[in-house]
Amino acid sequence: MRLKEEVLASLAASFWYKDAVIYQVHVRAMYDSNGDGVGDFRGLAQRLDYLKDLGITAIWLMPFFPSPLRDDGYDISDYTSVHASYGTLDDFKHFLDAARERGIRVIIELVLNHTSDQHPWFQESRKSLNNSRRDWYVWSDTYTRYRGTRIIFLDTEMSNWAWDPVSKQYYWHRFFSHQPDLNYDNPAVRAEMWSVMKFWLDLGVDGFRLDAVPYLVEREGTSCENLPETHQVIKELRKKLDENFPGRMLLAEANQWPADLRAYFADGDEFHMAFHFPLMPRMFMGLKLEDRKPITEILQQTPQIPESCQWCLFLRNHDELTLEMVTDMERDYMYDEYASDKGMRLNLGIRRRLAPLLDNDRRRIELMNGLLMSLPGTPVIYYGDEIGMGDNIYLGDRNGVRTPMQWDGGWNAGFSSADPESLYAALILNPVYGYQAVNVERQKRSQHSLLSWTRRLLQVRRSSPIFGRGSIEFLYPANHRVLAYVRQLGGDTVLAVNNLSASAQAVELDLSRFKGNILVEMFGRNIFPRIGELPYLLTLGPYQFFWFRLRRI
Amino acid sequence: MPDESILSDDLLRQLISVGEVDILVGLHTHNHAATVGQVIQVVREGLLKYFPRERVAILNADGGSHDGSRDIVCAASIDDVRHSADIRALRTLHTITTQYADTVSPGTAMHILVEAADLLRAKACVVVAPESSEIVPEWIDRLLRPIYRDQMDFVAPIYRRHRFEGILVTNLMYPMLRALYGKPVREPHPGEFAFSDRLGGRLVDHPMWTNDAGRMGPEVCFTVEALSDGFRLAQTYLGPKGHIEQQPTDLVTAMRQSVGPLFGSMEDWNGTWASIHGTQPVDTIGPAFDVTAAEADVDPERLRQMFSSGVADLAPVLKSILSPNILEQLQRAATIDEKQFSFPDELWVKTVYEFAAAYHKSVISRDHIIQALAPLYRGRAYQFLTENSQASSAVFEEHIEALCGTFERCKPYLIELWTAQERGL
Repeated sequence: MRLKEEVLASLAASFWYKDAVIYQVHVRAMYDSNGDGVGDFRGLAQRLDYLKDLGITAIWLMPFFPSPLRDDGYDISDYTSVHASYGTLDDFKHFLDAARERGIRVIIELVLNHTSDQHPWFQESRKSLNNSRRDWYVWSDTYTRYRGTRIIFLDTEMSNWAWDPVSKQYYWHRFFSHQPDLNYDNPAVRAEMWSVMKFWLDLGVDGFRLDAVPYLVEREGTSCENLPETHQVIKELRKKLDENFPGRMLLAEANQWPADLRAYFADGDEFHMAFHFPLMPRMFMGLKLEDRKPITEILQQTPQIPESCQWCLFLRNHDELTLEMVTDMERDYMYDEYASDKGMRLNLGIRRRLAPLLDNDRRRIELMNGLLMSLPGTPVIYYGDEIGMGDNIYLGDRNGVRTPMQWDGGWNAGFSSADPESLYAALILNPVYGYQAVNVERQKRSQHSLLSWTRRLLQVRRSSPIFGRGSIEFLYPANHRVLAYVRQLGGDTVLAVNNLSASAQAVELDLSRFKGNILVEMFGRNIFPRIGELPYLLTLGPYQFFWFRLRRI
Repeated sequence: MPDESILSDDLLRQLISVGEVDILVGLHTHNHAATVGQVIQVVREGLLKYFPRERVAILNADGGSHDGSRDIVCAASIDDVRHSADIRALRTLHTITTQYADTVSPGTAMHILVEAADLLRAKACVVVAPESSEIVPEWIDRLLRPIYRDQMDFVAPIYRRHRFEGILVTNLMYPMLRALYGKPVREPHPGEFAFSDRLGGRLVDHPMWTNDAGRMGPEVCFTVEALSDGFRLAQTYLGPKGHIEQQPTDLVTAMRQSVGPLFGSMEDWNGTWASIHGTQPVDTIGPAFDVTAAEADVDPERLRQMFSSGVADLAPVLKSILSPNILEQLQRAATIDEKQFSFPDELWVKTVYEFAAAYHKSVISRDHIIQALAPLYRGRAYQFLTENSQASSAVFEEHIEALCGTFERCKPYLIELWTAQERGL
């Protein structure tokens, strides 16, 4: 018996990412411990109790490596160190230990696809055509190769090739021109990147969020995305990970359609998790349309994935709300409804935080978080969204959603003791979202604040593994404004019913196969009438949602 | 049972699921399986093309079809259960259907639509005929846009018809309605039309639903209501309209559904129409075209024969309806030979007006009055056909315009007849 429990516990531990609630944060934005205006690892470690109390179980750290910071750290110039602004490697280790003590896992970012053009590898590579690192990057005499490849940063880049005046050739870049792509056809590159991963794994990180994975390998006559050779690179890394560090996790950032994403799970031998990019805009679309169709349709199109794998869900993150995975008609609708001010738009997306997107409407914020926590997958909360932080669209690029965390209404929002002018980014100051109105301290004092509500939400989610691991079945009631689904795991059943509309709704649910069960509302633990032969009638207030545990008593 | 709801519990349940909409499309079917599928596909295409972001539902009121019409309508829904890969729709499109009775009742069907539109708070409602074989997606836009975007209240169609189809419209309904209410509405008894929530809301508890006019010809009542009470009205060019002229055996039915409601509506609005003089233009939308098109295959001689026998057979009835002078002129026309036949505009107009007054006074059963008008209309139709057999479209229109002028000029005659009873004459 004890052996079985141990096996089950071990199994549960190895699938920890399925039960996780991930908190995405940039170390720069959380807390500045040394008063230089930039958040750091010592500061982040000091805020772990807050995160523990919030109820998250894992932290996803955005790039913190040495970098010229021309793309918010996604332009790495040294993979095995810490940017001086954020502290030292020892500071990182201290943070990692502190997180582990609190049972919080740590996922770090790894940008496989490209480096900064300031990385020593590229500096060597460009020195001459004969340099030993020349073929660590993708060079060409012409800019006409791989013409079938789309340009991702349409607002800033004219081509995927950039001219290098030093070595007099073009180099390949899928993102900014200061981010040359590594050449994964070169075994030395693959070996080096595993060394990088091993470095951090040895320190104790629990997983990697691998950035921009579809673009690792290029082939003529293709879109240079999702190529079999790219999958082979991932498989190699995964194999080494499993052999040397069982229980660690790989999370894919691949903004692709579900059918294309499915390949990144392969037979459970590539990624453990992948972001479900197409779902996110459709959640916002469904809310604005007051219609569940966009959500159910994309989930119907989402293929089954291996048992050991998991989707990663999010509402907002550090990037724009991407609208690449929607139709033109849907994109136009989203722009009109969520970004009427052109300044809110960037590339093919909307650079806004959750609360402003939802007009700071508490009911809609709660509903969207309820969906995030109850749809199948592992949820990611973007730092500050738990208190309803705002954005600043007048800051360039995506910096408007990367402003300092708002801890209190005091000096620099409690983020830093530095002069306000020296903060890495200006604080949000407007009367609605400014730090004096929206901050952790204020919300901790109120049982009814968004922060307190979010804490309770996570508590309820953690009360059952069904949300992370259970199956899902949609109910399709005739009322299209109501999104209802049943989650099941073993003998446990949870019914989630969500009113996507701004008005009260009545809905009849066919629960006949659960006849005899009573419904126990999971937040208040109140009992609802027993399920009988007839359709189960529920009424929901505007944007209201229910989670019911079904119990046969 | 006056307290009985026009909306069945089942329909109410469906409406609850639909919820608030921006646009409601209404159809009234009765064994239209052969055509309604195509019509509803076009409607759906029009909605997706021109109103992709609006909340829309299609409501079919069925008069007891036995040919699967209702199932065909329901199959047009777009939702997350029956989605199709080739349909790009932002929203769910509900298509709901209800069977209101085992017998056909246009008024009941329309009443259901009006009540449903009010419950669903539809800003615009469009009615589409289930047999409209020429309907194209643009019709949906042309009918709805003036309501939805331009704050109109009622949009009537202008069809491109075969010259000799719709003679009842061109020789009675159009000119008489124009004379009464001063607005040139080309299709007072439209197969397709649209109305606003303001107009629909006015009609929710309207007495028309409980009288013959509303029961038989709700479309005419809609038009009259829009004309009479200050609602903003527009006409929109749609395109060719198929064969709608009733067969002789159906003529009485057609007249019950059009002329009867027109006469009946005069009761409700006599304070309005009696004081209107002249004609004011109506906003007309869309690319204009000649209203008349190529000729249709008709047999005028048969109309004349039916006129002659009708006047003879119905002499006692006509005597109770018509003045001696008018009756004598009609009897003379019914007996002279084909080459000398004449049924001039003024005789026709006064005949119609005397029928309207008789309807008002209920000198005999009102239904008998409508039935008695049918053979006289055939005589007028014969006159119109022969007179215009070689006419160009322009001349054809001139003739209709002249008839309209006669209806207007003779309006005092109608008022005199109408008020004779009140004056004790």
